[in-house]
Amino acid sequence: MPKWGMLVDLDRCSGCRACVAACQIENNVPINTEEIVNQRRGIQWIRIERYWEGTEYPAAKVRNGAMLCQHCRNAPCEPVCPVYATYHNSEGLNTQIYNRCIGTRYCANNDPYNVRFFNYWEPQWPESYYHYLNPDVTVRSKGVMEKCTFCVQRIRRTERQAKREGRALKDGDVQPACVQACPTDALVFGDISDTGSRVSRLAQDKRHFRVLESLGTDPVVFYLKKVDPQHVGDAAKQPAAH
Amino acid sequence: MQRREFLKLAGASAAGTVLFAGCTIPQSDLLLQSPALLPEDLLAGYDQWFASVCRQCPAGCGIIVRVMDGRAKKIDGNPVHPLNLGRSCARGQAGVQALYHPDRAPQPLSASGPRGLGRFNRASWEDAGRELMARLRAAQAQPDSVVLVTEPLHGHLGMVVERFVGAYGAQHLTYETLERAPVRAAVKRVFNQDRLPDFDIANAAYVLSFGADFLSTWLSPTQYNREYGLFRQGEAGGQRRPRGTLVQVEPRLSSTGANADAWVPVRPGAEGLLALSIAQVIVSDGLGDRNAAQRMFPTPGALDPFRPDRVASATGVPAERVVQLARDFAARRPALAIGGDSAAAHTNGTLNLTAIFALNYLVGSVGVQGGVRFNPPLPLRELPQTATATSFRDWRAFVERLRTGQPRPVSLLLVHQANPVYGLPTAVGLAGALANVPFIISFSSFVDDTAAYADLVIPDHTYLESWGDYVPDPGPGYPVIGFQQPVVQPFVGSIQFGDLLLRAAQELGGSVAQALPWKSMKEALQASAAELQRLNRGSVRETTPQRFWNAALQRGGWWDAQATVPGAPPAAPQVPTQPAPATFDGDAQQYPLHLLPFPSNALYDGSLAHLPLLQALDDPISTITWATWVEVNPQTAHDLGLIGDQESDVVAVESPFGAVEAVVFVSPSVPPDVVAMPMGQGHRTFTRYATGRGANPLTLVGAREDAETGALAWASTRVRLRKIGRRVRVPIMQGNVSPIQEASWIQIAGPEKA
Repeated sequence: MPKWGMLVDLDRCSGCRACVAACQIENNVPINTEEIVNQRRGIQWIRIERYWEGTEYPAAKVRNGAMLCQHCRNAPCEPVCPVYATYHNSEGLNTQIYNRCIGTRYCANNDPYNVRFFNYWEPQWPESYYHYLNPDVTVRSKGVMEKCTFCVQRIRRTERQAKREGRALKDGDVQPACVQACPTDALVFGDISDTGSRVSRLAQDKRHFRVLESLGTDPVVFYLKKVDPQHVGDAAKQPAAH
Repeated sequence: MQRREFLKLAGASAAGTVLFAGCTIPQSDLLLQSPALLPEDLLAGYDQWFASVCRQCPAGCGIIVRVMDGRAKKIDGNPVHPLNLGRSCARGQAGVQALYHPDRAPQPLSASGPRGLGRFNRASWEDAGRELMARLRAAQAQPDSVVLVTEPLHGHLGMVVERFVGAYGAQHLTYETLERAPVRAAVKRVFNQDRLPDFDIANAAYVLSFGADFLSTWLSPTQYNREYGLFRQGEAGGQRRPRGTLVQVEPRLSSTGANADAWVPVRPGAEGLLALSIAQVIVSDGLGDRNAAQRMFPTPGALDPFRPDRVASATGVPAERVVQLARDFAARRPALAIGGDSAAAHTNGTLNLTAIFALNYLVGSVGVQGGVRFNPPLPLRELPQTATATSFRDWRAFVERLRTGQPRPVSLLLVHQANPVYGLPTAVGLAGALANVPFIISFSSFVDDTAAYADLVIPDHTYLESWGDYVPDPGPGYPVIGFQQPVVQPFVGSIQFGDLLLRAAQELGGSVAQALPWKSMKEALQASAAELQRLNRGSVRETTPQRFWNAALQRGGWWDAQATVPGAPPAAPQVPTQPAPATFDGDAQQYPLHLLPFPSNALYDGSLAHLPLLQALDDPISTITWATWVEVNPQTAHDLGLIGDQESDVVAVESPFGAVEAVVFVSPSVPPDVVAMPMGQGHRTFTRYATGRGANPLTLVGAREDAETGALAWASTRVRLRKIGRRVRVPIMQGNVSPIQEASWIQIAGPEKA
């Protein structure tokens, strides 16, 4: 059984946000209207965090990083759900069962990566936009948490197709929407239990790290450091705001 | 034209589409609506993928579209199309929102109120067709009183339009907000090429970019992003390649600048001066190709006025920095110099780009891997393969013609997709001059700022419902034609513009009908496909035209990776060394700040402002959505007492030509004497999502133009900021979630050890 994982190469990422748009169309993420953004209740399963390193013109530098559910093997959001709406499946996905969720938001409270989103409102599209909604993905209703699923519908579809063709899944067969869109190839998805997969090999790069590793969450989203030839070490880094 | 014929056209237009090869799922996986116990329990329905071409921006990437039950669900990159190899951008992803937009013009519309307000009643096809033909026939006595305005067109629609206006005798104007004329002129002068070249970023070791925001909107951004990934962390023969270095020279930090290893803020309009200064160092220190240097600067001492210490105050770049840039550029080969966007949007825009592109010759980067490679023409001689928009200078002359009726009045104005009422500076006065045109017909899919002035709207299909083709310009270094096919039936009562023109030509008869022998755009495309089939080379080789047609549609087009430009590149040209400082509108005392408008990563030039996905997409620098902001240096903001954060001051940005309001974004991305504003908002009419939202910085711009091409110099205006005492909550994504730790979690690796 595969164990899915992802890798984000921050040195390739250009912050173009193709991943953000692709995810929203694929997963029927509600339109973040101006009103919703003003309430700071926008939903982005994957987002690009933009940090400033320094504040002075012209020395300040922009740092971009894609942040999405880290599908932690030791996920702090899972044990706190009173109704078992969030659980870890056998393929290593942190999964949200929408029709079990009663909206306590304990999971979001306990989530150190801020990648869980609560539907404060009934999602709304103009009637004609229902035509493009993905029939493979449930539209979440008001009062329910939602989050990145690693595009489980694409995983299932690809698995079924491989089965029908009587073959095993190949590395690279499964691509979540963000990975497929990413023009710089900064996002890599695959089976981390397969040491030969591209994601496993790249995760061995000397630039590898994981976010908030000290918390012991054991994420399966791996990062490769941004390279900056002028970088002088962490001591010189100033606090930055996202 | 009768309704039945209209319907026949509309119905026939989607017949004969071809599935994207290799993406079918048997009927056994029929759609079952799961009760949604677990997301992973969901069963998938039967889907089909069609290959086509994205038309959200002029790059022309290949796409595949997922269709279920006759509805387009998702757009992704076409994995075999040479430009984007399966990748896409945010704008391309939003295409389904254009197709199913709730405010598409649903059928022909006739004006029911004063022009400009966008009030329309639904009109019948009979009336619309009769009106169109009656107007065309009535004006035939004086055909040059008919003017057709389109976006810059090439390929088959370009051919059909050219032949139509040629045979009819009408005038054809093209309009694009972000004019490419200076880039084309500089490419012609420096490389003697009619087509834009392939900048081989993937294989360059060093890229020196002057203002070109190639990771966001410039020319072919998805291709460049793909190449950028390889440039940074690509492999060659299983080995990591040395990491490429990107240096961005521009007054305002763009999203490309934000990814650069170094940002060199230059004074607006001094980009060419800086390039000449770099050339001076390379030539005088003998760092580059001496033969090229001799040909480019034959007069001894011609470069002396550009010695770094002599131009430091004009460029704002210290002399030692210039020397370092020149040395790095000459040492890190292959090195590539590119320029565009704000570097081109000055009164000396073409000169700037000429000096910048010429740097490639000095370091032997022309016609080589990792440098500037040329694009050969497609082997279809009759097909227009590149298009230059009517210059801003000529647009002003046209507005003058509308206003005065000299040399002769315009009796009928036909507008397809282009939106000059939005994009032309208000100072030009197009909207007012349109009052003198007796009748205006728009063929836009949406009632936009220009269509709002129409008396009749006959809506065009969106690109996902149309037959067409696209020859990417710039291409990938070899000939490519993307084939565009309707992936779904028309969603509303629209009609493909090309088909309508062909039909009208038949009805007009005579020489017009003779010039356009095809019954439909599809037929015209098939004729060209048959020509390609006879060549028997490239990505599709088939024994019959029909088999070729099907195979080319399956793959999304035809290309020939072997047909690169043969032989040695043209010799280096002589480069002008007469300095031409940029000039600016607005007195420096009264208007102390340079205004730098910039294309929006989400909304492009404003033509995508009607799509809510893109309105809600956070900007790479400011993370602001749904609004227009003005980027102000922290020092300037402090001096003016402005704050810009989660709640921000609203300021009036005032130029000699007008004033707009914008929220303040305090940012180290601009120098103290520069403010920057995104293009894209400020539509007076453009669907529920864009109408009346934000402001258009082009309304502040005067009427200065690039001296050589007459392109609008949209970065040549000075402004001032006036605090108006209002403070608003800003729709900004920064702060949408709390930061996940106090400082950035993004870890940085220092210089790699050799």
